[in-house]
Amino acid sequence: MNRREFLGRAAGAVGGAVLLGGSERLFGAPSDQINLGIIGVGSRGQQLMRTFLRVPGVRFAGLCDVYEPRFAAGRKITGENTPIYHDHRELLKARDIDAVIVSTPLSFHADHITAVLESGHHVYGEKSMALTVDGCNRIRDAVKRSGKHYQVGLQYHYAPWYREVLNRIQAGKLGKITQIYAYWHRNNSWRRPVPPGADEKLARLINWRLYKEYSGGLVAELGSHHINFANEVFGGMPESVIGSGGIDYWKDGRETDDNVQVTYRYPTGQTLFFSAITTNRLDGDQIRVYGTDGSAVLTEADATIYYEPKRPESAVQQETIVQHGIVTGATYRSELPYRGVGEPVPVPADKMGSPDYLACASFIDALRANKRPEADEDKAWNEGIAVCLGNQAIAQGQRLKVGEHLTKAAPA
Amino acid sequence: MGTVFAIHLYAESEPDALSFFEVAFEEVERLEETLSKFRQSSEICRINRLAASQPVTTDPEVFSLIDQSLRYSEQTAGAFDITVGPLMRTWGFFRAEGHFPSSDDLIAARERTGFDKVVIDRAARTIQFAIPGMELDLGAIGKGYAVDRVVEILREAGAKAALVVAGSSTVYALGAPPAEDGWTIHVPDPFDRTRKISTLKFRDQAISTSGSYERFFDLNGRRYCHVMDPRTGMPVERVLQTTLIGSDGAMTDAISNALFVLGADGDALLSKFQDVSALSVLADDPGQRILKWNWPDAAIEGNELVDFEPSYGRAQAS
Repeated sequence: MNRREFLGRAAGAVGGAVLLGGSERLFGAPSDQINLGIIGVGSRGQQLMRTFLRVPGVRFAGLCDVYEPRFAAGRKITGENTPIYHDHRELLKARDIDAVIVSTPLSFHADHITAVLESGHHVYGEKSMALTVDGCNRIRDAVKRSGKHYQVGLQYHYAPWYREVLNRIQAGKLGKITQIYAYWHRNNSWRRPVPPGADEKLARLINWRLYKEYSGGLVAELGSHHINFANEVFGGMPESVIGSGGIDYWKDGRETDDNVQVTYRYPTGQTLFFSAITTNRLDGDQIRVYGTDGSAVLTEADATIYYEPKRPESAVQQETIVQHGIVTGATYRSELPYRGVGEPVPVPADKMGSPDYLACASFIDALRANKRPEADEDKAWNEGIAVCLGNQAIAQGQRLKVGEHLTKAAPA
Repeated sequence: MGTVFAIHLYAESEPDALSFFEVAFEEVERLEETLSKFRQSSEICRINRLAASQPVTTDPEVFSLIDQSLRYSEQTAGAFDITVGPLMRTWGFFRAEGHFPSSDDLIAARERTGFDKVVIDRAARTIQFAIPGMELDLGAIGKGYAVDRVVEILREAGAKAALVVAGSSTVYALGAPPAEDGWTIHVPDPFDRTRKISTLKFRDQAISTSGSYERFFDLNGRRYCHVMDPRTGMPVERVLQTTLIGSDGAMTDAISNALFVLGADGDALLSKFQDVSALSVLADDPGQRILKWNWPDAAIEGNELVDFEPSYGRAQAS
């Protein structure tokens, strides 16, 4: 068949979809078009736009930002003259929008996400949940109150190799998980270029990740993924956290730390250690799960399992060994780090995909099926609170008990 | 894409340079994650997994790049073809295990190859394969496209002078170094890559090179290089290197590949493009023969060169 002839015939299929007003309409068939708006068309927002546009039947009906060049960038991605808004409240009045992506700087999440929910729209909100405990509470309450769907942008939650490792952990294949050590180690400044002629306010907004007014720094922007994973493994949120960090290398006027280390303790006596540095990338982005029978190493692209050597089994009763003062065989084993290969975690071809794509497609599926997203407000809250308190622990140099701070910060 | 990206640039200060690198390499990584056939999570791999069984929706950027690739296939009458993967695999070029395939394997691979077997729907932005076993491989255009995107991002960020290099495939010269009127580029001698056959200065243009010296195998006195002629299913012979200068990297990358396939017959193709310059090095017996198209003569160093063959001359082509 001639390619061009085919084009002509197929052109009406999507264009003919009937649009109903507002977000009250129900979606049924996968062919139903879903119109998205987006607040915050920066680098992350643009990547989300591209990814959502890979899901069949998705279109962008509104772009909102405060920085003019973002509109051209956004329209280039949609390939059409998408309506633009300088004020998110105007976007939320648009009648043809079904759900809204919020990918603004962290400090705006609470206001923007609650505004979206209160206007009756579903929301895909970038991680971390919010900059403050109060902000996290406001978002969670707004989701419950509105009955609208909220999915947090923790895309690794949808990575099939993450799910498979979780399945194995839950099936007991790695024994008792005692520790998770997680790293996001980079070797770059994290500072983006500011276009010539930009004023101080714009310069700070473009580099919002570096300023405390807007940002939760490395714990929020990078650690949130690892914290969410540990919450899943350990079955809830941590009970206490200690932390340290500093601006020790990139002394360029930034306010957020260029290296952080936080240690979370969970009620079950399990530990998450997270480190982010910006001066060496040997360890990259990885999560190392340590269990009594094995370990798992998860990266952005795959996961590998390492089984522990079998523990020595004595032919005689332990009591006898103790009585005779015999040292067990474990002592003889080398303490060198394991340098062998592991067992790659297989991912079936039909489940493979980029975490971003799987997260976005899952959100659209949730809207069409009117079902709760998997990375919902409860998981987001567990992650968001842990991030906020991790940063607070670093700032105060103290061990913080999570429960105490929830009570203090709960909304009136 | 699986190549080494390098960026050389001038900036007012080291922090400025670092921030340029920050956004530039972020973009390279984004495109790798989108276009690489070596990453199972990439958008191209997703399309390849699904497109034999259903139309696959993709975003406007990826769709445009595939659409543009198919247009280049039409313009080059199939000398450029992003569906050449099954042939490459059959000849063992994906794993550096080059060998002459059996005729059955070759027939099967040719059946699964062909840009005209990719069905696209522009309104729905979908890609579909007419038969199973096909795959898209943007290796012959993706690096050039990535160079273009990085240049665009550097320009937006305020960079005035940068050389963006994607492996040995494509280079873009953004502006010029301070007090210079362009970036100096050497076109290497394909027989001895430490020597050069041409040196020129250029700015705000892309230059792409395709060569047979990177991956090949020898059998019974013949050299089979990794560049396939998609029209015949056979590796290109007797072409050593093509170099193309033009306005954007995606075009120069794709068309330099097509020019490599077309060999001495390339000028009908070149006449379709405005403002391009080309240099093709063909294997001659003995030695080599260099054909030029719009190439600044003065740039050639110690090499005899001729225009593309008269039977395909400019007057005739235009």
